[in-house]
Amino acid sequence: MRKIKLIRSPIEYARNKYLKTITYSFLVILYLPIINLIFFSFNDSKRNIVWRGFTTKYYEKMFDNQILFDAFSNSLTIAFISTVISTILGLSTAICLWKFNFYLKKYYDLALIFPIVIPEICLGVSMLVFFNFISWPNFQIWPLSLSSIIIAHVSFIFPFVAIIIRSRLSILNNEILESGTDLGATNFQIIKFIIIPFLKPAIIASFLFAFTLSLDDFVVTFFTSGPNSVTLPVKIYSMVRFGITPEINAVSTLLLLIIIISTYFVIKFLTKKNRAFIK
Amino acid sequence: MANSWSVKNKLFIFLLVPGLAWLLFFFILPLIIIFSMSFGQKIDIIGVEYSWSLHNYIRAFDGIYFITLFKSVIISSITTLLCLLVAVPVVLYISFSSTRMKSILLISIMLPLWTNLLIRTYSLIAILRTKGHINSSLEFLWDSSNHLFNFLNLANYNIFSNSFTPLNLIYNNFAIILGLFYIYIPFMIIPIYLVLERFDRNLLEASYDLGANHIHTFFKIILPIISPAIISGIILVFIPCLGTFIIPDLLGGADSQMIGNIIERQFKSANDWPFGSSLSFLLIYMTIIIFAVRYIYTKLYSKLHIRMDI
Amino acid sequence: MNHKNKISRRRFITGSSAFAVGLTLNPFKLFANSENNLNFYNWDDYIGENTLSDFADQTGIRTKMDFFADNDELFSKLREGNPGYDIIVPSDIYVEKMIKAGMLDKIDHEKIPNMTNIDRNFLNPVFDPSRAYSVPYMWGTVGIGYNIARVKGKPNSWSSLYESEKYSSNISLLSEATTVIGIGLKYLGYSLNSTNIKEYKEVEELLIEQKKHIKVFAEDNGQDLLASGEVVLAQEFNGDVAQLMLEDSNISYIVPNEGSIIWEDCLCIPKDAPNKENAHKFIDYLLGAKTGADLADYIQYATPNKEAKDLMGLDYIKNPAIFPTDEIIKVCENQIYLGEEIGQVIQDSWTRILAS
Repeated sequence: MRKIKLIRSPIEYARNKYLKTITYSFLVILYLPIINLIFFSFNDSKRNIVWRGFTTKYYEKMFDNQILFDAFSNSLTIAFISTVISTILGLSTAICLWKFNFYLKKYYDLALIFPIVIPEICLGVSMLVFFNFISWPNFQIWPLSLSSIIIAHVSFIFPFVAIIIRSRLSILNNEILESGTDLGATNFQIIKFIIIPFLKPAIIASFLFAFTLSLDDFVVTFFTSGPNSVTLPVKIYSMVRFGITPEINAVSTLLLLIIIISTYFVIKFLTKKNRAFIK
Repeated sequence: MANSWSVKNKLFIFLLVPGLAWLLFFFILPLIIIFSMSFGQKIDIIGVEYSWSLHNYIRAFDGIYFITLFKSVIISSITTLLCLLVAVPVVLYISFSSTRMKSILLISIMLPLWTNLLIRTYSLIAILRTKGHINSSLEFLWDSSNHLFNFLNLANYNIFSNSFTPLNLIYNNFAIILGLFYIYIPFMIIPIYLVLERFDRNLLEASYDLGANHIHTFFKIILPIISPAIISGIILVFIPCLGTFIIPDLLGGADSQMIGNIIERQFKSANDWPFGSSLSFLLIYMTIIIFAVRYIYTKLYSKLHIRMDI
Repeated sequence: MNHKNKISRRRFITGSSAFAVGLTLNPFKLFANSENNLNFYNWDDYIGENTLSDFADQTGIRTKMDFFADNDELFSKLREGNPGYDIIVPSDIYVEKMIKAGMLDKIDHEKIPNMTNIDRNFLNPVFDPSRAYSVPYMWGTVGIGYNIARVKGKPNSWSSLYESEKYSSNISLLSEATTVIGIGLKYLGYSLNSTNIKEYKEVEELLIEQKKHIKVFAEDNGQDLLASGEVVLAQEFNGDVAQLMLEDSNISYIVPNEGSIIWEDCLCIPKDAPNKENAHKFIDYLLGAKTGADLADYIQYATPNKEAKDLMGLDYIKNPAIFPTDEIIKVCENQIYLGEEIGQVIQDSWTRILAS
């Protein structure tokens, strides 16, 4: 029997040897620091620079650490609120700039890039001076004390969202929109039923991005934070002098674990529902 | 055809106003304050005199700031290029994978973003430093090979010298580029993926049917369509890289000063906010000039095109 | 077909986000803004393990601690007005800068009876005569942390860092311009607080020449480089090296013969502090003998509190990485604030050094 040679379609890029090696080596390189991080969360050393032995005591210490917990909850709250606001603002701005041609459009386009151009420290200082200038009150009650941080975060995050969504919009087929108009939809309906579902992956992606941008931000947060609004990156950055203890590695590992587990369940839940309907 | 809707309706206002209002009040206004500060002068310790003089800009035109700016542009460009060269193959692979693999791969790429930047960079240091993981493993291999050769009585050939010189992977520009690559690669991957996911496969099939090879297809079909996404990716990577200072601080060596570091120092230890503002604004002016050039170029290009059609 | 699916998916997402929001909206925080508060802005890990809780037990005042990473951050944050802190911990030069800029409130010594616990030598420093605005907290020196195994003999001269290629690519200096250039001045035999521009030029040329042998200008983590074996000699603050010495017996610390900087961290009350009374009570509490001893024991820095020092063991008092000997103190100087023009000379010089 002659061996039948499988002819691969050239379009199946996922079978391409070169692309496969590049992708998987990239993933390996990407995860080396993460694996190191997880290992060193079990390190028996306060400075956590050299491996000195195995211990789980920093996991126990982490649960006792009230300051760490406060910083963590502050970071999550700020990230959540600023992400929601940034996504809404970025989405509306992206659709508006893509569809409409108005008088000062190119200047608005340019101005939208400025929050990305400006060095973070300059932005932080300008927000500090600005809030003093307009005498933004120093709220002492908890969620409002984070207001200045949230405002500053939204200012530099929503342009990122706008740019990501616009890149997705660049591939939107206009014929679909035309057919919508032909079938009698108003512009508002076109947005709601055609554009937004089309943008769903972009919205999810920019939501996740905005979340991490806010969660990780140190410079702008530092300048706009008041008392009792310590965030996790500010706390970690201030630990550099005396050593970043393995507690922080432990927190990061735990967070990663939570995310992996919850995404697993979300995907499983969603695909299960889909499968039930295909049957 | 994209910009076809009329501006005279409520929808436009509804979409435009939130973003515009926020940008104006919570960004442009603070920016104006800093802008006027860049024309000001520092008096005493914390006083700023808004004297509307070009003093700071004249000082910024000293050679040293331009050298550093140039160096920062080079490092940012290399980082952006590296991100691009890695992002495109990876995205091609992912977007043509099965649905299940797609989600897994995408999540795997986004997951490291959820660890704190500083911790990730410290882990990177632990890998790259002189006694870090890479050098230790290489040293282990070196010594094992030496033992092997000794065992096989090939020591006389002196293939591997006795002492292992570790690779110099950190506290230099290489480490800075690698560190920036780590942080910004998702910013290049996501816009390109969002476009490639909806890419019309029929175009590719048509191209292959007509006899084109991979490279031809890529450059003539895929690349033009994803070029807006590539531009977005470049904006999201190159520009923040210019102003970065944390990565050069942590991973850079004695001569790895970037313009971001100089600006940071003006706002902190040098305590010269007017000068720091003027340096920051130099970056903004640079961006304006690049956009202006691009705008003029596209205008000229379309004018030429129309003339050629006629 | 997808209608039912959409609803349940939407419900799931709203449910989980509500859960996430509920998790982050820590209910305890909403009720935590009680009356007796104190906002403490401090370096990280620069307080004893139980100091704040013991203080709360003793006085009923709840202390909330925020963190900054270096003096410049503290200064730039407070520059445009106090965001609500009651106690801050700047170092010597910054105390002087803040006094001159009007950022500090006077301390009422009547409310701090424990001031008598402080060693006489610290009662009248050059940056704050008669302690009108500050109270000493911890002090120390800047010296060389080194790896005993890999360094020949004792590096008792700054030349091993500033003018020698012996340990090329295995040395690190600090990254603070005033500190590095100041010690350069000491090495060349000039005063730490020189105002002679020519002397600064000399140091600049020295450093530009030496730069090719310097591995990195470490921002406060020179001890990490020592610990990982990246460098064998590191210019560092004594306390940082002392903490490393607890974990690694291969490391030692020395202050070179040419002399060095004696630094001091102080407790100050910024202007417009909301809880001034509590601030004074806290300072008085920290100056107590027992509290001072607990602080010294945990932080392992040199305490200016002589009553606290008497309560400590010999391994603390005799540790050269914590307390410098008298001969060393003689050749060291306190850094003083030299004014904005010299400050700018130093900063421009530093930019040139880093860019060369």
